[in-house]
Amino acid sequence: MLFYLKKGLISGLVFGIVFIFLMLIGFITVGTTMIGDFLGNLDNLSDGARIPVSNLLILVGLLGFFTGLSTRDKATDANWVQTILAGFAAGLLAGLLVGGAVWGAGTLHMQGVDFRKYLPNLCPEEMCFLMFYSTPMAAARTYLIYWIIFSLAGALGAKLVTIGNWSGKTLSKIKENVNKLTSAGKVKQILESKVGLIILIILLGVALYFLPLAWGSYWNYIMGTVAIYILLGLGLNIIVGYSGQLVLGYVAFFAIGAYTFALLTAPEPHGIEMNLLLAVVVSMVFSTLTGLLLGLPILNLRGDYLAIVTLGFGEIIRILIRSDLLMPLTNGPNGVTNVGQPFWRGHIFSDVNYVHLLMLLVLASLFVSKRLKDSRTGRAWIAIREDQTVAQATGVNTYRYKILALLLGAAFAGLSGALFASRNQFTGPEDFTLMVSVNVLCIVIVGGMGSLPGVVIGAFVLKGLPELLRELADYRLLAFGALLVVMMIVRPSGLWPTQRKRFSTSQRDSFDKDKAEVEV
Amino acid sequence: MISSAICAKGVSKHFGGLTAVNGVDLVVPEQSISSIIGPNGAGKTTLFNCVSGFYIPDEGEIQFVGQPIQGLPTHKICDLGIARTYQNIRLFKQMTAIENVLVGHHTRMNTNWVESIFRNKRYRQEEKKALEEAFELLDFVGLSGMADTPAHNLPYGAQRRLEIARALASHPKLLLLDEPTAGMNSQETAEMTLFIQRLRDTRNITILLIEHDMRVVMDISDQITVLDYGVKIAEGKPAEIRSDQRVIEAYLGPGAAALSEKFSRKRTLHAVGC
Repeated sequence: MLFYLKKGLISGLVFGIVFIFLMLIGFITVGTTMIGDFLGNLDNLSDGARIPVSNLLILVGLLGFFTGLSTRDKATDANWVQTILAGFAAGLLAGLLVGGAVWGAGTLHMQGVDFRKYLPNLCPEEMCFLMFYSTPMAAARTYLIYWIIFSLAGALGAKLVTIGNWSGKTLSKIKENVNKLTSAGKVKQILESKVGLIILIILLGVALYFLPLAWGSYWNYIMGTVAIYILLGLGLNIIVGYSGQLVLGYVAFFAIGAYTFALLTAPEPHGIEMNLLLAVVVSMVFSTLTGLLLGLPILNLRGDYLAIVTLGFGEIIRILIRSDLLMPLTNGPNGVTNVGQPFWRGHIFSDVNYVHLLMLLVLASLFVSKRLKDSRTGRAWIAIREDQTVAQATGVNTYRYKILALLLGAAFAGLSGALFASRNQFTGPEDFTLMVSVNVLCIVIVGGMGSLPGVVIGAFVLKGLPELLRELADYRLLAFGALLVVMMIVRPSGLWPTQRKRFSTSQRDSFDKDKAEVEV
Repeated sequence: MISSAICAKGVSKHFGGLTAVNGVDLVVPEQSISSIIGPNGAGKTTLFNCVSGFYIPDEGEIQFVGQPIQGLPTHKICDLGIARTYQNIRLFKQMTAIENVLVGHHTRMNTNWVESIFRNKRYRQEEKKALEEAFELLDFVGLSGMADTPAHNLPYGAQRRLEIARALASHPKLLLLDEPTAGMNSQETAEMTLFIQRLRDTRNITILLIEHDMRVVMDISDQITVLDYGVKIAEGKPAEIRSDQRVIEAYLGPGAAALSEKFSRKRTLHAVGC
């Protein structure tokens, strides 16, 4: 009994504190706005009008429900009394905490204290809203009652779901049926046959072709950014994911690619206006050469030392670009404008064209990365990542392969840099801060080191999700950070951990067959 | 005439003030099984590391089939035909068993990264051949069904054998085994002993091993070198080493040789582990 009481109180404490924290930083308004967006009851509000109190009640109810849910203990099967006790205790404590906080703050507010001095987000309007536009006491009572009711509902709901394991049984049955359908059924057969694969690829191609036409320029911009980051991620994946060299200044290659392309194609400051395709190639060559210059002296460093040196390198490039010294060459902090735009059927590339081009390049890069990974070269890289000393003693020229990885990675960055500059029609030193390196590294790590689908998913999560979270305004990065932390706890080896190629027995049988045929 | 695989003269290696190996001469005849034994800290692994190129000896010369190898990077030495295993297993843990073997084959392959992107005919042929050979090697070391298992998921004994398979994949003329039976029970040890003999007989490889299990050493060695405090104190056939006074002293301390006169020779040697 005491155990469940304790569990309930802990849940109540946690949720109560979370709510108070969110309240103090002004997040409650954002949350209720989101609920409003979801319900659509904000649409017909004029500017400056109040968010309906019902939204706040829904938010409180939801949190109360989760308070109750979290009292459930998987290991021990609580009976009804214990469940009710835990749910009630949780709701009571959370309700008392939140109610008390609102009552205290509300009373002070009534006496004319302005919280904005201390907490910029806790404005008087917010305070009134938190009190449901009534008195502090009434608001506190509402919070308490609501929290208790919903916490009980949550606890009982959790109990109902586990009672008699009926849900467990049905769930496993459903799973079984799904498995039957997919494994023995037609779906898998279709997927495994060559025709099915071709159809799938065609469908995917059609979807990829028509999506950018359909979803508008805002999404094209976001998806273009995501695609550029996929390219960057694939490049860094070769360096960090495959060969295991922690290079933190990856942005340098990106910057050099972008600037080379921009300076070669823009009318200002040099007026070269080179053929674009040639300029892309030159950009890639330049970044690769930079990679060589950087790599030759420092690739004997290992681990932390390499990270620090390359970190410095990334910053040096950015500072050089914006320096007065190179002002005549790079235009300094002003950046380069009017970067060359490709033509397609007589008109300048539209956002749709860019997305299509980027998609093609992403697919090609994925193909190259995949082939490299499964080859002698890829195996040598991964061996270096796993144990450099042993890899060398096993016959791998580690220095050469590390350089190769760096060069290929730099070439990828040069390519994406050129596209980045061309798409934005502008490139400036502030596009190439340390954060770019960090973001790309996050993409590789969050997706799963060395995993290609991981890079793609990672880029969507890290560059796409923040756009989706724009709704959260200032709390975007907070929510994003929380998501990352949760993700790394739940999936420590990445969203899509790398899968080693399987040289399965089927392949082996084919050898035996070949041999048998020869013998016959 | 039997030529020598390894011919080392006056090899020394210092670490600061410590002389780990001090003027050791070592001759390993081709297609022999030779052992290096000695108490802990005698410099066995240091000598090994000098031969395989991990350390550059401070003095002396090491020749591999007549060619000086000291100072060469380890991948060159591997390419010449020296492969090794490690005292504490050092596999590429995240890679599968077969991939480990394929990495071992790296130095006998020639295709570059451009070919691997386009998968031309040469690449496909080479890859197929390498794969076939890797499967054969896995069969040879008894890991047939485990090709796709990540190395870190393999049981201990299998990891040791996989290390040998990886070493064999580079077609070595000389195989260095650093304590191949460490941590094995008596049955596994017996299997490993047989396996090492089979290796030499079927693949014509010279084998040099460090080993603490005296039964293994005495059973399979054609020649034994004994190190103590970095100095070679004895060399010869198992029977000679068995009765060498200095060896017994090195293992059991001064006075042990005199004691061995008192007690039956057999009992003392039993304590050494023979």
